[in-house]
Amino acid sequence: MKYILMMNCPKTGYETFYAWPKKGIQAHMAFMRSFNKQLRESGEWVSGEGLASPHEAKLVRAGENGLPITDGVFPEAKEYLAGYWIVEVESPERADALAAQVSAAPGPGGAPFNMPIEVRQVMSGPPKEL
Amino acid sequence: MKYILLMTGTKAGVDTYRAWSKQDIQAHYAVLKGVNKELTEAGEFVATEGLGLPEQARMVRAGKDGAPITDGVFPEAKEFLLGYWIVDVESPERAYEIAARISGARGPGGVPTNMPIEVRQIMSVKPDEL
Repeated sequence: MKYILMMNCPKTGYETFYAWPKKGIQAHMAFMRSFNKQLRESGEWVSGEGLASPHEAKLVRAGENGLPITDGVFPEAKEYLAGYWIVEVESPERADALAAQVSAAPGPGGAPFNMPIEVRQVMSGPPKEL
Repeated sequence: MKYILLMTGTKAGVDTYRAWSKQDIQAHYAVLKGVNKELTEAGEFVATEGLGLPEQARMVRAGKDGAPITDGVFPEAKEFLLGYWIVDVESPERAYEIAARISGARGPGGVPTNMPIEVRQIMSVKPDEL
């Protein structure tokens, strides 16, 4: 079963993170590297990406002629995707356990940050009837 | 440059989609399949995934002992990720064009949905380099 673990943040999430003490940032990144390594070694790694700052986010719609209409204005409370992991696991419980592990990544002072991680199943293809 | 095109929707929005006729859903998927084919042929395709339904979403945090605390309650206005495309393109404008193609996919009665697609750059700096 494939699950996606998503890390979301508010618009100012990146500035907040980069304002952490340098040691805190390094410890957090070291944790992420070792988490990635663990997933690769256990064969649970499928993919993962980090996204650029929400400040560069654009909302695009098709105009009447099919051309893009671009907009950079989002609701203030909007959550932005900061990064994700896709994992191949035996059970939903295993996905939750991995999410909890990421959630406990060290925060600015080194204590577990306990950030919320959104867990969703990844579909292996379009619905059967299609 | 790698960009991620995020398709999101509220629970209510997904319910509306599920009420589309089979024909409309098939026509919609046909456009999306066409986009995937076009991207693959252009060498711009990196990855795409569709996610499971929002009602199966859960938020996971590490508890004090590191064990997962799961919660399935989200604000009504929450935008759930429904699916994404990662493309490798020459410019942000090209990413917006592709987003507009997806946005212009046909909805009920063959009318383009013009749904908003969030476009974000994938970080080119890997955490390992920090």
